[in-house]
Amino acid sequence: MTDPSSWLLALAGAVTGVVGSLLGIGGGAFLVPLLTLFFGIPIRAAIAASLISVIATASASATVNLDRGLVNLRLGLVLEVATSVGGLAGGVLASRLSPRQLFLAFALTLAVIGILVALRSKRRNVIADLAVDPGRLGGRLLEGGKEYVYRVRRLPLAMGASLLAGALSGLLGVGGGIIKVPVLNTFCGIPIRVAGATSALMIGVTAAASAFIYYARGDVVLPLAASVALGALPASLLGARLSDRVQTRYLKILMAVLLLGVAIRMAGEVF
Amino acid sequence: MSGHQWLLDRVIEAVLTAGVLTSGALMLAGLALDQTPLLKWGIVVLMLTPVARVVVVTLGLALERDWAFALISLWILGVLASSLYVAAHLERPRLQTVAPRRA
Repeated sequence: MTDPSSWLLALAGAVTGVVGSLLGIGGGAFLVPLLTLFFGIPIRAAIAASLISVIATASASATVNLDRGLVNLRLGLVLEVATSVGGLAGGVLASRLSPRQLFLAFALTLAVIGILVALRSKRRNVIADLAVDPGRLGGRLLEGGKEYVYRVRRLPLAMGASLLAGALSGLLGVGGGIIKVPVLNTFCGIPIRVAGATSALMIGVTAAASAFIYYARGDVVLPLAASVALGALPASLLGARLSDRVQTRYLKILMAVLLLGVAIRMAGEVF
Repeated sequence: MSGHQWLLDRVIEAVLTAGVLTSGALMLAGLALDQTPLLKWGIVVLMLTPVARVVVVTLGLALERDWAFALISLWILGVLASSLYVAAHLERPRLQTVAPRRA
């Protein structure tokens, strides 16, 4: 990385990677605005670079989560049916939208994510009692030396949220965890840590489904995508470790405000 | 967690780790040496890492004789294959429009 701009881009990937994984929303929500508004990179190339870095960070954090026994593989597989179809559809749709339409779609999504982050600043943990049979999709979780059992409820809702998350991922280069994790946790009875870990595992496949399309269209600018991914990779692992320790409530409220601000700024690119 | 599930988790971990490390090394070398082919392969390996993970999961579940979930996993592979197919067919018009301008 001799080119100074490669270092700057890697730094952009690193900063958005830490913040994204601290907040549990992935780096894409901040990375794409930073690349387009600050570095002046065309939005399609920014989305493609973000998707590449999302694959890197999701794959790396999945290894940590598998090691901790947090991933529910079977549930992940069922939901991946929806996220991968969504990712493919989002990728195809993005190839047909103009940059203006993409900016507008991104601004709207950021505004909704900002509101979701603010609403979930005090997150809930849903854990059922030990006598419950977890069923085929549910599971057991060891936390703090205690064993918990959870059952998966409202699977169609989880599938719908996964489809939407996949489509947004393919369309805008975000991971989609911000949509899946709250739905899985709040409405489907899945413990927050399992929801986050299972979502991260799915994100790699979801992003790959659309990344092929961006790559074939020539939207993946190699040095840009590689610099950003190399910066984001160690940063997301650091963020995942910090998220267990840092009190993130006020950070989330601050970030919600920032997300809404960036949404307005991105919408400003259109009008 | 059953013994099979534990083993499958370890194999998935190994596949993801190998994919991310190989791709990271290729991308780093590509940037340092200013070598586009290395960068390209780094990104291709990275994009194929989740696909390799799904292949391993499909095989692992088939070995466990968990046919229902093996089929679900196979379906996801099918979606990824369709994405590659769509990508391959998107490429052509772009190359046709770019090539004359370069000439």
